[in-house]
Amino acid sequence: MAATLLDAVSAVLVLVLVALGLAVVFGMMRVINMAHGELVMSGAFTVVWLQGWHVPFWGCVIAAAVVVGFFGWMIEWVLVRHTRDRPLDTILATWGLSLVLKQAIVLLFGPGSHSVPLPLDAMVGLGALNYPAYRLVVMAIAAVVIAGTYLFLRCTNRGLATRAVMARPATAELLGFNTDRTYSATFAAGAALAGLAGALVAPLVSVDPQMGLGYLVPAFLAILVGGAGALGGVLAGGSAVGASTSLLGALWSPVTVQIVVFGLAVVVIRLRPQGLMRE
Amino acid sequence: MIARVPLAISLAVFVALAALPWLAGDYWTGQFTRSLLYGLLALSLALVWGRGGMLCLGQGMFFGTGGYVMALLTMGKLGPGLADAWLALIVAAASAAALAAIVGVFVFWGASISGPYFAIVTLAIAVVLEQSIRSNYGLGGDNGLVGVPPLPLGTSAFDATPPYLLVLVVVAAAYFTLDATLSRRIGLVLDALRVNPNRLAYLGYSLFAWRVATFAAGGALAGLAGALFVAVDGFASPTLIGFGLSAEALIWVALGGRTVLMAALLGALAVRHGEALLAAWLGDWWLLALGSVFVLVAVAAPAGLLAAPLLWLGARVRR
Repeated sequence: MAATLLDAVSAVLVLVLVALGLAVVFGMMRVINMAHGELVMSGAFTVVWLQGWHVPFWGCVIAAAVVVGFFGWMIEWVLVRHTRDRPLDTILATWGLSLVLKQAIVLLFGPGSHSVPLPLDAMVGLGALNYPAYRLVVMAIAAVVIAGTYLFLRCTNRGLATRAVMARPATAELLGFNTDRTYSATFAAGAALAGLAGALVAPLVSVDPQMGLGYLVPAFLAILVGGAGALGGVLAGGSAVGASTSLLGALWSPVTVQIVVFGLAVVVIRLRPQGLMRE
Repeated sequence: MIARVPLAISLAVFVALAALPWLAGDYWTGQFTRSLLYGLLALSLALVWGRGGMLCLGQGMFFGTGGYVMALLTMGKLGPGLADAWLALIVAAASAAALAAIVGVFVFWGASISGPYFAIVTLAIAVVLEQSIRSNYGLGGDNGLVGVPPLPLGTSAFDATPPYLLVLVVVAAAYFTLDATLSRRIGLVLDALRVNPNRLAYLGYSLFAWRVATFAAGGALAGLAGALFVAVDGFASPTLIGFGLSAEALIWVALGGRTVLMAALLGALAVRHGEALLAAWLGDWWLLALGSVFVLVAVAAPAGLLAAPLLWLGARVRR
């Protein structure tokens, strides 16, 4: 029972971590990044690649965030900036990009799946329960990153400036804020979060070129269920989608769970298009 | 109003396609039968997305639904009395249209889900449908339904020409019907639905009814294409219903030209046969190149690559 609950918390934190980058980009820039799943995948493959060079795992994790963040900066510069007033074309462009990234990984690493060894192979005793230490570490990092993102946007001057640019771009520009730079920094940060998430989950899952879609759809549903725009919405939506997936997984087969959870999420989005957290 | 490819050009395209079996041999005839049906799927997406402005990321679900209904009926799984192929074609298209209407009512009713939300929701529904089929052993699971009987054309099953001509006639009929309908007032309403829905509602049109009807019509076309595809191919697989085919259809339509029907149709043919020709030469780089071109088109040439040449040619012919 306690293990099931802990698994659910872990699923929620990982999903929120994956969805966080997407939520920052979608909520603040109104940009739908269909390549987000492939950015997560790129983070995981950065770890696979660097481990081939015997780089220590935690070095790989940091490198993954930096590399994928740089990807994001380039993507904003080449694609997103030019389709800002055509949101549906942004969807197409980033979707095309997801195909390109997927195929690039197939060409570089082959179509098969890779595994990353657990950096911490210990179990931690929690009362009567033994739980894998690495999962606890991932949960802690995810919680810290989520809280950090929230505090950055709410409690720092730069976070305030970012929110101002997103809410009233024209006014912010008149007041002397560089909107273009804010947009590219935001997109790069969203991508870096995806890369970080991918690197952290890499030892827990099978890393293959097709893994992106499995993250994209639940992450989007979490954002839409919670309510786009507010970071609190990501937490709520991520908890709803992640926890129900994990808890129902104890009862039913993964496929049934996915069908039920996606179906429920679609119904919630339909009944509350503004999301659970919005008035 | 969107410029139309003149009748002379579309007729020329279909006449050239009709000559194909006598020029290209059985192998290519069989390949073109399939790609024409993909072209019909592209037409349905051009109607729903290009003209109606509803970016459906799961158009494959209607193609797949048509295919599975066709397979179930003609294989006699729902009773031997219902195994008539022609009846099955109609039922398959109607089922896909019904699914589209249900999804449409669900999505567009009341405070309509639109734009990006609509795209994500259709993607999620397609993923759910693909998963359900893959895990349903009554429908063959991952393997799909094998052994769908070919269309009863009274000819040898190894002769690729009769099914090709039948498919060509169906696609041509669908194309000319759509083209004629969209060049009338209905086309104007759809353009308004895409460009300025608020003003259309202000003029007294029901956005809900028009969206659902357009979506259902697109579903019917895609379902018909899927049903014929399954009969030609001999089996229905879960890949027909989900994410992969939906994404491909989007690429054909975007590369060809989303608002011009003929451009979308030719986009499907060009990409499918470009793949067959170039994949041998480019290998795995083909998908990378296709994805890159798709990205470039989405960013720099949202009207597509074939629309402008077709319309330019059309203007020359008309003069």
